[in-house]
Amino acid sequence: MDEPKVVSRERSPELSSMAARLRSGDLGLLPVFVGLVIIWAIFQVADPVFLTPRNLSNLILQIAVIGMLGIGETLVLLLGEIDLSVAALSGVAGAMLVILSISLHFDAWVTILGVLLVTTLLGWVQGLWISLIGVPAFIVTLAGWLAFQGLTLALIGQQGTVIILSNTLLAIATIYLPRAVGWLLGALLVALLVWLDLRTRRLRARYGLSLPSSRQSLARIVAIAVITALVVATLNAYKGIPLVGLLLMIAVGAFAFITGSTPFGRKIYALGGNQEAARRAGLNVAWIRVWVFTISGFMAGIGGIIYASRLGAASPAAGSGNLLLDSIATAVIGGTSLFGGRGSVFNALAGALVIGSVENGMDLLSVPSSTRYLVQGGILLLAVTVDTLSRQRRRSAGRA
Amino acid sequence: MIRSHRSSALLVAAAALATSAALAQSATTIAFLLPETATSSRYATQDLPDFLAAMKKLDPSAKIITQNAQGSATTQQQQAEAAITNGAKVLVIDPVDSKAAAAIVDQANRNGIKVISYDRLILDAKVDYYVSFNNVRVGQLQGQFIADHTPKGGTIVMINGSPTDNNAVLFRRGALDVLGPLFKNGTFKLGYTIMTPGWLPSNGLTEMEQALTKLNNHVSSVLSANDGLAGAIIQALKAQGLAGKVPVTGQDATNAGLRRILQGTQSMTVYKAIPLEAKAAAQLAYDLATGQTIPKGFVNGTTNNGLIRVPSVLLTPLVVTKANMASTVIADHFTTWAKVCAGLPAGMCPGK
Repeated sequence: MDEPKVVSRERSPELSSMAARLRSGDLGLLPVFVGLVIIWAIFQVADPVFLTPRNLSNLILQIAVIGMLGIGETLVLLLGEIDLSVAALSGVAGAMLVILSISLHFDAWVTILGVLLVTTLLGWVQGLWISLIGVPAFIVTLAGWLAFQGLTLALIGQQGTVIILSNTLLAIATIYLPRAVGWLLGALLVALLVWLDLRTRRLRARYGLSLPSSRQSLARIVAIAVITALVVATLNAYKGIPLVGLLLMIAVGAFAFITGSTPFGRKIYALGGNQEAARRAGLNVAWIRVWVFTISGFMAGIGGIIYASRLGAASPAAGSGNLLLDSIATAVIGGTSLFGGRGSVFNALAGALVIGSVENGMDLLSVPSSTRYLVQGGILLLAVTVDTLSRQRRRSAGRA
Repeated sequence: MIRSHRSSALLVAAAALATSAALAQSATTIAFLLPETATSSRYATQDLPDFLAAMKKLDPSAKIITQNAQGSATTQQQQAEAAITNGAKVLVIDPVDSKAAAAIVDQANRNGIKVISYDRLILDAKVDYYVSFNNVRVGQLQGQFIADHTPKGGTIVMINGSPTDNNAVLFRRGALDVLGPLFKNGTFKLGYTIMTPGWLPSNGLTEMEQALTKLNNHVSSVLSANDGLAGAIIQALKAQGLAGKVPVTGQDATNAGLRRILQGTQSMTVYKAIPLEAKAAAQLAYDLATGQTIPKGFVNGTTNNGLIRVPSVLLTPLVVTKANMASTVIADHFTTWAKVCAGLPAGMCPGK
């Protein structure tokens, strides 16, 4: 590695390492999975429709937007910063989509590119402001949140709700992959994991590092293969894998790779873990920040396009309501630390599943808003409490 | 108004637009104070010209002060104070904030100035009159439409408005006035009912997806509180191949809603004729300013605003379907065929 080594989390190959990690407070995805199982069990008891293929397919569609925004937010949180503008920026995406597609009659693909360009650029500008001028991200993105709502109103405020006419744009959130393609993708995913595992082994062997036990690797791959097969079989039992589900998986996979296996990703963790240390180690702190906020803007654009496609319309109300809090909660409930440096993109997916499941289940039971807000507040508090307690444990175990 | 105006209230208040129309130096001075232009264009494009036109007919020499608060309750208060200073005898206020506007009313009362609460009710204050549409009636119209278009024994889904909006509560009450007894005697089944936080279509979409999942698509009709929610509901129906087969109600006569009515996916919308509302407010304001007695029957009800029962002019909303679109929203210049039909095939649009 030509990078200064700042993250040194050497994992011992023994199977007991996992137990040791848990004891020292590194809970990873465990709490959120336990939470998810409990939530699913409760709703399944309350309404047997909950765990049917159709409803789980609904769930995928319903978490697509917060999942996409949550991924961007996760990267920002890894830096120890926050982005309050993601939801409002996704509203701008909806407005731009109307302008480009309806008012200017651009082709669907040009529209998508244009929308992503605009939101990415706005994210980039916020990043520059934070990095170069030094205004705290909280303030810059708070200002962005307000300004982007204003921008949305200025762009389409006079028109109210505008119906999207392009079939391509409408298809994004409404079509499903053919069943055979679903199985093929599942197989590809497992093959990819095997390849990645072998690659890691080869690299570690080359650098003379200890190798993870092959039994552990095999168990992990088999477990993921079983889960993948279950997911594909379930979704195929309804209409197949929703296209947005695939898009979400691609986004999670791509950013998991970027954060986990590239120098850029390591720099994000390094910067989030200890900014001063990262700076002294020679990292270009400003450049990393600008990139992360730019990515967040890009993901907000993707989220906004899916949002509009799902509703078949764009309106000035897009991006308002709970969307911002849901996006942040998605990252936090998944286990990404608000204090920076710890978490992963997978956590965003897990968090989106938790939030989506709760909303899905409560809508299924037509629970009144009062209960809904109480439950959501409770889950958020519980998740952050687990994070805080495990953080204290980590500190006493010298892993903070 | 039933849309959420929170977002606009958050905008840094731009310099308020002042369009003082001083027609002549006359004893009759009336202030018409509007809330915003950002999330709803109706105030600038409908209410204001309609009110001015009606006043011009009543008294061409009357001085009308018109202001728009651009979503800021503070700006509105300042505009009201300025109007009082400028000699307004009657304030016609569409409040930005139903509760904050009570301070304006108190100040007007101390100065012996009459206050008409326009479209939205000012709460907890001694308001002289209230001019608006009968919101319970809106719900009744929606409920009646559903009752008329649902087969016996059918299952009804109710996607209501925001639980924090008093109007939404009234719409729902009106709908249940009609449907409640029919649910009780078994004529229809209430399959699913929910109130939608913030009136947000994105929430409505999830709700309808879940309603369809829960009921396994056995839905005979959907009572939607407004057009925004109807759009989301129809998206969910479309995903199940049910759009156009299940009656869906609406409200507000939005262009998107009217277009769906032409396409056959939405069945009706409740239209509130703004020209009538503006005209009623102008008449009332003129009578109060000139000390004339209000014609009998003009004030047709009272509305409890938490402090008093406000004498009210409550206008009747209209059901708009494909059949009467031309004679209502188009004839009233509420909207145009061009706006409603944008992007529709020519054969679908009667105006082309």
